[in-house]
Parts: sequence; C-alpha cells; structure tokens
Amino acid sequence: MTLLEVDALDAFYGDFQALFGLTITVDAGETVALIGANGAGKTTFLKCLVGLIESKRGAIRFAGEPIDREPAERISRLGLSLVPEGRLLFASLTVEENLTMGALNRRPGSWTLPRVYDLFPVLSERRRQMPNALSGGQQHMVAIGRALMSNPRLLLCDEISLGLAPLVIDQIYASFARIRAEGASIVLVEQDVKRAAGAADRVYCLLKGRVTLQGPARGLALDTLSRAYFGA
Amino acid sequence: MTRTGRMLLGAAGVAAAAGPWWLGDGPMRFLSELFLMLAMAQMWNLLAGYAGLVSMGQQVFVGLGAYCLFATSIALNVAPFWVLPVAPLFCAGVAAVVALFLFRLREAYFAIGTWVFSEVVSLLVSKSERLGGERGMGLPTAKLIDPRWLEPLTFWLSAAIAAGAIAGTYALLRSRVGLGLMTVRDNDLAAASIGVDVWRCRFVAFVLAAAGCGLAGAVSFAATLYAAPSLAFDPNWVVVMMFAVLIGGIGTLEGPIVGVVIYFALRELVTVVFNLSAGWYLVGLGLAAIGVMLFEPAGLWPLVRKRLGGDWLSVQRQPPPADTAAGATGDRTATAAYDRTGVRSP
Amino acid sequence: MIWIETIVNGVLYGGLYGLLGVGLALIVGVMRVVNLSHGEFIVLSAFIGVSLAHVLPGVHPLVLLAPVAVIAFALGFGLQAVLVNRVVTRPDPFASILLTFGVAVVMRNLMVEIFGADPRNLPAGRLAHASTTIAGLQVGVLPILILVVSIALFTLLQLLIMRTRFGRIVRATADNRDVVRLMGVNPGRVYNVVMGLALALASVAGMLLAIRSSFTPYSGVERLLVSFEVVVLGGLGTFWGAMIGGIALGVAELVGLRFDPNSGPLYAHLLFLVVVLMRPNGLFGARS
Repeated sequence: MTLLEVDALDAFYGDFQALFGLTITVDAGETVALIGANGAGKTTFLKCLVGLIESKRGAIRFAGEPIDREPAERISRLGLSLVPEGRLLFASLTVEENLTMGALNRRPGSWTLPRVYDLFPVLSERRRQMPNALSGGQQHMVAIGRALMSNPRLLLCDEISLGLAPLVIDQIYASFARIRAEGASIVLVEQDVKRAAGAADRVYCLLKGRVTLQGPARGLALDTLSRAYFGA
Repeated sequence: MTRTGRMLLGAAGVAAAAGPWWLGDGPMRFLSELFLMLAMAQMWNLLAGYAGLVSMGQQVFVGLGAYCLFATSIALNVAPFWVLPVAPLFCAGVAAVVALFLFRLREAYFAIGTWVFSEVVSLLVSKSERLGGERGMGLPTAKLIDPRWLEPLTFWLSAAIAAGAIAGTYALLRSRVGLGLMTVRDNDLAAASIGVDVWRCRFVAFVLAAAGCGLAGAVSFAATLYAAPSLAFDPNWVVVMMFAVLIGGIGTLEGPIVGVVIYFALRELVTVVFNLSAGWYLVGLGLAAIGVMLFEPAGLWPLVRKRLGGDWLSVQRQPPPADTAAGATGDRTATAAYDRTGVRSP
Repeated sequence: MIWIETIVNGVLYGGLYGLLGVGLALIVGVMRVVNLSHGEFIVLSAFIGVSLAHVLPGVHPLVLLAPVAVIAFALGFGLQAVLVNRVVTRPDPFASILLTFGVAVVMRNLMVEIFGADPRNLPAGRLAHASTTIAGLQVGVLPILILVVSIALFTLLQLLIMRTRFGRIVRATADNRDVVRLMGVNPGRVYNVVMGLALALASVAGMLLAIRSSFTPYSGVERLLVSFEVVVLGGLGTFWGAMIGGIALGVAELVGLRFDPNSGPLYAHLLFLVVVLMRPNGLFGARS
C-alpha cells in the first residue's frame, strides 16, 4: 500500500524555484533514502511534506488524503513526523519535557515515554537536564524520541548523522530496526550515501531540485550513483 | 538631477522666498509648522531608517533646543534669531556626550534608554527655577524683532531648515558615512567585519539628528514666544515623527515628506472640515498606522514610486559603466544591501 | 525610622510596579513583540473598574478585580487574534511596534472622548487610608495587600509557566514557533492566550494603582514607561527579575520623594539609567 504519494512537486523561495516536479512514493513499512549534495533540495522537500513551505505546486497525498494545502499543525496529527536538521530541540524545556511535546497531538500507538527511554536508555538518566547539556548524539536521540512520541506512520529524518562520530551514528541507525518493527515507515535524508543506502529499501537521488536516480538500494552501482549525485 | 527637476526646485525656492507676500498669516503659520515637523521627521528617519537607532526620546532635543535658545537670548539680551546656532550646537554636544553612555544599549533597550533620558531632562527642567519650573518661560527678547517680521522670519527659517534637513540627509547618505550607515543598519556584525566603524557611523547620525531636532525645536518655540517642560519635552513630538516616517515609508528620503503631508492633511480635515475635536484626528492617525502596518508595511511612498517609476531621491549608487558581466553580479549583491532605500523599478 | 518606613513602603509599592511590567515581560519573552499599547490597556482596565463600581455601588473594588481581569483577558485575546498575529511573523521589528503604537493612540483618544480627560480614581473607602503598626512601623494596609496580591500572582504565573502542560507549550513556542507546529500546536492560538494573560495581570495592577492614585486617559504613557523600566531592569523575559526591578523602582521613587518632595519619578528614572548603563542586559540578564 502506498503511504506517501508526491506528484510533480514544485517549491519556491520567493522568485527562486527550489524543487522541480518531484515525484516520489513511499510504501507502508518501507525505508526510503533521499540522497544528494548540499542544496539539492532534500530539506526543502521534507519541509513541503510537513507543511512548513507554503509556496508550492503539485499533489501530496498521505494515506490517501491530500495534504498539500494543509497547515503544519494539522499534518502532524495525521501521523507525519519530522526530525529536523540541526535537531531544533526546545532549549528552555528539559529532556523529558521535550519528549512529551511530541505526544501533544495524542495519536494512539505503541510509543510512550518508557518505550522511548527503553530505546535510548541514556535519555532516561538525563531526563531532568536541559538539552544543551547533552552531547550531539544524545540530542539527536531526543529529537528522534520527540518525533516517535507522536506515533508517526511516517518518520522523516533530516541529516541525522551530520557532525556525529561514526560510533554514535551506528547506535542511532541501530534504533531504526526497532522503529520499523513498530510499523513506521522512514524517510532518511542523508549526504552519506553508503550509510543511507545500507539502511534503506529504495533510494532517490536529488540534484538541483530534480530526481536524477531512483531504484532499489541493493545492487546500486557506484558510478551511476555518483553521476546522479554530482551531475557529472 | 534633471533639468525639469532643477527648474521645479528653483521655482519652489522662489515661491517660498516670496511666501510672506502672497500667503496669508494663517497658511504661513501652518506651513512653518509643517516644515519644522518635516525636518524633525527626516531626522528620525535618518536615525531609525538608516542608522538602525530607534529613539523614543528625540523630543529631548526639541525641548533642549528651545530652552537653550530662550536662555541664551535672554542672558545676552539679543534677538532670538541671532543666537539660533547655539541651539543645534548645544544639542549636538549633549548628544555626543549621552551617546557615549546610551550607545551601550541595543535596540529596545536603546529606545527605552533615550525615552527615560528625555523624561529625566524634562523633570530636571521642571525643577529648575531659573528656567521657570513647570510654569515655563517666555521670550521677552522677541521684542527686539520688529513684530511684522517675526512670522515671515519664522517661515523662511522653517522652509530653510526643512530643505536643509532633506538636502543634508541626502548628502550624508551619498557620502562614505552614509554607505557605512546602510551596511550597519542591515547587518552590524557584517558591517564591522568588512571594516566599517559601526560606532562612528551611528555616532555621526545621532549627533546630526539631535542638532536638527534642536534647531527645529528652537524655531518652533521661538515662534510661540513661550516654552514649558510639558510642551517642549512632550513625547508627542517623537510620536508624530515616528508616524510620519513609518506611514510615509521608512528608509526613504521621500517617505517622511509623504508622511508629514498626510499627518497635516488629516489634522486639517478632521479639525477644520469636519470641525471635530483634536482627539479624532489622532484616532484617524492611529487607524492609518494600523492600516499601513497590516497592508503596506513598507509605508506608502514605495507604493507610489512603483506607480510613478523614476529615481526620485534615490541614494543608490550606480556601478561604473565599464563593468563586465562578473562585475554586474557583484553589484547585485552589493546593492541588495540597500533594498529599502532606493530600489528602482525593475 | 522614617527612612525604614519609606523603604518598606517603597517595597510594597514596587510590587505593583512589578505587576505592571510582568505582562510586558511575558509578551516580550514569548513572542518578541514590544506592545506599546500596554499602558493604554492598563488605563482602560481602570476605567472599566470605575464604571463597574459605578453600576454596582455596594461592591468593594477589590471584588471587581476578578471581572475586570476577565474582561482584560478577552481584550488581549482579541487584540492578538485580530491584529498582532498578522504582523508577529514579519522579520521587521517596526511592524509590531507601529501597529501597537497605532492601537495605543486610538485607544488613548477614544478614552478621552468617552470618559473625558478629568483625573479619576477608584474609591476604596476606608481601605485606602487604613494603616497598621508592625514592629513599630506605620504601614498602610492597602500597600501590604498590594504586595500580597502581587506575590500571589507572580507565584501563580511562575507555576503556570514552569509546571503545567500549557506552560510547556508556551516555553516551547517561545523557543521555536515553527517546530511546535510539527507537534500540532498553532502558535497564533498560544499567543492569543499569552496576550490575554499579560493584559489580565496588567489590569489587576491598573486597578490597584487606580485605588492608590488618580489617573487620566493620558496616564497610559507613564504606565508604559514604568512597565518598560521594570522589564529592562529585570532582564527581558524574566518574571522574578521584573518583580525585583519593580521593587527597586518603587524604593527609589519613594526615597527620592522623601528628600526632594517635587521630584516625581526622577530618582526612579535615574536609578534605571545607572543600572542599565552598568549592566546593559538588566539586573538578571546574562552579561554580554
């Protein structure tokens, strides 16, 4: 079953067009990697999905419902959750308060505070601390936990390996198996091609706002990929 | 400036010079008031629109200018207009000293700091018996001027001050300091990083604006022959400056002119045509401000200019004509910094 | 002894100043908007209080605090929903300043037209002049009551913001108004409630101030200036800072009046300038 259906999506920042006719689908239970260099339009695409960019054209359907004209606060209630680039935790809320913010829209499901602490035990120890006191990896865990607390059907992760040590990235990627087991689909936006392709079922490659490559993650030839990535 | 522009300007100058012979007393007094308000609004525009300094205490210089002129004229027993230069000089001096302190405050803090400074000066003047305390003081030395010439002199001075405020601001903005000011307003960190002396640019603008308001205030109160703290340091001075600038279009030289004309037109319409109490024109002014902010936040002048086209009083610099394509893109990024000042129609 | 009494009265009075400013601190902290009509709303609440007292002559003005606060909440909610939310997201700080300034001018002059420009006050009967002796000090009952009300409201506000679900949403919205939308929160609605709360608090202060001293439609400017000083002294956006700032201003004003009877708020202003010049981020703001 198709969970997310994006058809011919254009997006604009003022006069500048950032996305050109993107057509992307995500099936239920699937993990899709979205790769591309800086400025390819990956983050813009995610912001379009969650409703943070209003000047856009094209159709976005989520679980069969058109959401391209819906405001962000309503889209989140449908089960679309974003782990934003740079984490964007609430600096004046404690770790636990940050996590409970995710549960505000009261979507039923299996993710609760104890389950999130079970997934990332270190957060349980630091629940009373402010996010700025945490390491970068732990902050990412809070951001993922916050998104999970809304029991999303589709979890969007924007550059979650950026600036982290490889060991910490391994830890975070290891949590995706659990998240998928609970039934969520995942979209991973990454610059690290190998890492993303390793975790995903399918890959889309973006270049300058257009899809230049799509296909199964397994057996992806490195030279086709690099052509799609760099546009060489 | 074009030939027609120069001719229009010359005609306006002649009309103003001959004003006392063809204008009645009422219109002349009205225009004097308008010109002085225009000069003050332009000063506030220089501060907020170009130097990024939102002063809510600019009335302090209006009042200080007036009191300085009164005190000097009485002490030396000479006609007030002969010692007029002391007002702007004194205000510039005061501004230079308080800038050393107030410039430590940023944005909202600066605005409130200037306002409190103004209140303090007003209270101190109210307590000073030499300056007449709360009752205020008259200007007996005005007797030294032939009464027939008092109003024409005020009119000429007001017109000259308004013209000087506009021309002076224009010249300042075309100078190196002006270029620095605009980079400071848009991003003071970036300006500092390319070697602009942020503090000095702001200092120059603050001191000049104080001098301008002091001069206008001195003439304004000399014309009424009476100054009291509640009138001279009335926050309404800065209220009107702010309204005129923001409604007309902040960060443009024409904006304050449009704003001041709207202000006086509204006042006359409500008080003279509809014969309502003064409160209603202020209500109208407030509604105008709300409307402008909701629907045309850049102010009215940019809207008008889009219709009319042309350069007007743009302080935008032109790139050297011999530039290549690479130079042209460089210029685009450079001029992007003064979008609010002089955008020409594309 | 007279000096201690003056200082005690300054502290009691300063609690009221803190209450005037805390609403403004809340708005600045949560939505980075400077509400220039804050003073006019304070005066309007006092006029509403006087009108209610006129309609209900038997009711003590302190009882009227509740209905006036509710009305002020509704006015603030409406102001935000109808006007301020339209400009709050603009990057230009002038937008909200000029908008609320326009509101202030309209309100001030409408109040002159409706209520007249004569000084009014809220009659509180014996309470206004009653005093009691504590540890040999002569202290007014009203000032004590004012301080108690101020501290109670400050504590309630602190609990609301730090301990409740709503407070969590308010703090999160202040941190990042886009990210809360991803959690299903509409920032505009949060702002409506915050503005309502701010003006409700200010209305209580406005009523108490109207018992203590007279006011006119033009008093809003002074009220705004005091509120600003309180906010800046305390450091933008901190509640207890606002309380301490208010008390500092109250003490400075009363001590100043004691040895210089016609100084008005001169010494409070001077204190403000000195403190702010020494610590440009306020008493409790981080040093930059």
